[in-house]
Amino acid sequence: MEAAQPVAARLREAGVRAGEVCALIIRHDPRFYPVYLAVSSLGAIPAVLAYPNKRLHPDRFRAGLEGMARVSGLDWVLTERDLQDTLAPLLRREGSTIRDILFPFEETEQTKAFAEIPSRSAAPTDACLLQHSSGTTGLQKAVVLSQRAVLEHTRRYGEVLQLTSDDKVASWLPLYHDMGLIAAFYLPLVSGVPLVQLDPFEWVSAPMLLLDAISKERATLCWLPNFAYNLMADRARDEDLTGIDLKGLRMLINCSEPVRAESHDRFARRFASYGLKPEALTACYAMAEATFAVTQTPPGRAARVAHISRDFIAVARAEPIEAHLNARACVSSGRPIPGCEVRVLGEDGDPRPDGNIGEIAIRSVSLFDGYRNQPEKTAEVMRDGWYLTGDYGFVDNGEVFVVGRKKDIIVVAGKNLYPEDIEDAVGQVPGVAAGRIVAFSIEDDRSGTEQVCVVAETGVEDDAGKKRVRRAVIEAAMGIDITVARVYLAPLRWLIKSSAGKPSRRANRDRALAELDCGARRAQ
Amino acid sequence: MISERLKAVILRELDLDDFEIRNETTADTIPGWDSLRHAQIIGAVESEFGIRFSTLEVLRLKNIGELQALIDRQK
Repeated sequence: MEAAQPVAARLREAGVRAGEVCALIIRHDPRFYPVYLAVSSLGAIPAVLAYPNKRLHPDRFRAGLEGMARVSGLDWVLTERDLQDTLAPLLRREGSTIRDILFPFEETEQTKAFAEIPSRSAAPTDACLLQHSSGTTGLQKAVVLSQRAVLEHTRRYGEVLQLTSDDKVASWLPLYHDMGLIAAFYLPLVSGVPLVQLDPFEWVSAPMLLLDAISKERATLCWLPNFAYNLMADRARDEDLTGIDLKGLRMLINCSEPVRAESHDRFARRFASYGLKPEALTACYAMAEATFAVTQTPPGRAARVAHISRDFIAVARAEPIEAHLNARACVSSGRPIPGCEVRVLGEDGDPRPDGNIGEIAIRSVSLFDGYRNQPEKTAEVMRDGWYLTGDYGFVDNGEVFVVGRKKDIIVVAGKNLYPEDIEDAVGQVPGVAAGRIVAFSIEDDRSGTEQVCVVAETGVEDDAGKKRVRRAVIEAAMGIDITVARVYLAPLRWLIKSSAGKPSRRANRDRALAELDCGARRAQ
Repeated sequence: MISERLKAVILRELDLDDFEIRNETTADTIPGWDSLRHAQIIGAVESEFGIRFSTLEVLRLKNIGELQALIDRQK
């Protein structure tokens, strides 16, 4: 807080006031934390956004930010000097809500000697922060979390995790994501637990950095999306693991994308001889709308695995079956944390008994206050005080198992992607029929996450022309920072339309996988 | 100058038929080379040339020319 004082003084001098939204677009940097706290201390509302990587086209980045500004009324952008030229056009746009772009790392002569800002207490109902969902074409939503929601959540979740003064969190998670912001920032901050934070980009290039940090810093807790287990198990070489000791690691918490039993097994096998305890492999079901965790498997016990029939969707019932039959291994996400309730709803919206699969709905003391400025989108997901998650799952012996998704969203490495964004970008490619594109995902066991696939209709018929179109589709998606693993080209009028007249993603996914060639020379 | 052998490994890992790769080419401009694939591609390069890069060496790489230079130094 001491380091935040001069920053708060500078921000106030610039005009930042209570209730205004401050977007923070800042790379991994220890100076980020005082800036965040400075925004909070003024009663302004911080919204951490992703710093654009080089692949994202500046026009796309600006368009995304403008969309967010329209939705949530961004008042200020706090960033680094490197983004000044990219962001400057935003200020000149007519009707822009953004009042100025500020560079909080830069000191000015006046603010070196500043008057102390009096401490300010917040009301429980005051907005604490905004969490923006991804998406670029009017799909963004800004989750509003109150002070009470965040504090209630961190307190209750901390109790479930049995946090003590001996704990330490290690993380590489980006802070624009709820898992990073709540589990690896607010939770340690509120609980007084030390945090070791790595640069997300450095970690993904050198995944062993995390194990090194856990080992050297004696970290006890770490949250990870599922793909990270595969990445570390696959990339670890014995010579990189010399001296690595994971004995002190109490809980690795798998969260933010479907938890795969195989990923846990692979990770446990690879690191058992380095002190990893099998019971450290736990799981959590979380979402920004509930601040973060809804359920958590208990400390000291590995997440339970239940085998259910793969035909579960047809029967909507999670009959336990033998592991070797037509079984799918489902990893438990644990019991609801105190203050959270979970229901499983049938197609009719009524609760279903345990063992039945349906849409997961939640009620919680730390539920969001809605999507900012979007009451219609909030109303779509709320029913009688229950938040409809759009995920399918079941409850068994009080534990929640998440098995699928009602919505078309794609989750790659813990990041939510909207098929609409990919379809819009690919729709610009010459040779692709306008509006005749669907994007969907397939499971990739090797990486432990999903891969993006695109089916596009084209009138191009020769092989060389098709190759060009495929490449252009991949490059169009790169422009919005999305990697397309497979491009299926279909002849005109091939895509199946839904009753609404638009190409159906589910039906076309199944048909493309069965009938089309994606042009890859080997299996992905 | 990027060797044909290095280029071939990169194209194979990314399933590309062809792509012009020069010293100043950066990973983010090569179709399919995203942060998730990065570790996999570096691993494939190491296997191809029978060498090992340290974490720091990998983190310092700015472009494909530097990757080529690193390979040349270790061979």
